[in-house]
Amino acid sequence: MSEHCCGIQVGKNVPDFKLETFEPTKADFGEISLAGLKDAKKWTVLFFYPADFTFV
Amino acid sequence: MHLAWQRDEKMLEKVTYPMGSDPTGSLCRMFGIYDEATGLALRGTFIISPEGVLKNSETNFYNLGRNIEEILRKLRANLHMAENAAEVCPAQWKQEGDKTLKPSAKIVGKIYETLK
Repeated sequence: MSEHCCGIQVGKNVPDFKLETFEPTKADFGEISLAGLKDAKKWTVLFFYPADFTFV
Repeated sequence: MHLAWQRDEKMLEKVTYPMGSDPTGSLCRMFGIYDEATGLALRGTFIISPEGVLKNSETNFYNLGRNIEEILRKLRANLHMAENAAEVCPAQWKQEGDKTLKPSAKIVGKIYETLK
């Protein structure tokens, strides 16, 4: 995914991505991927913020 | 880091969603919200359908917080339209049951009357 740069237009497919996560419900680390979310037929709201300890 | 923040911050007590990290900024770059000057992510919000299509994109600068109710409205509207492909949700649409529009020649120039 690193070769894809500078934005995705609304209406276009999002290339697959994978992230390491902290899972508050399990108090443990985990992993999430767009492929996995698609398999689970889930909608995704991806929410970026500049740094921890800031507001939303 | 996320763990410490979530344990410390009372406002995050009820967070149940996964908190991901993008240490290299590659995902931020992919979505066009990586600020090369600061090395930080702008406040970007993206709604992606179960088919992997980007349905919504919104970016705020560092100094403006997001309106969560508006993001949820957009999510609800997308869920509605996914089930009702012939309908569109106008600006005032807030939730299930509110009036939608069915685009056709009949309503051209008659949006006001259609929504009344």
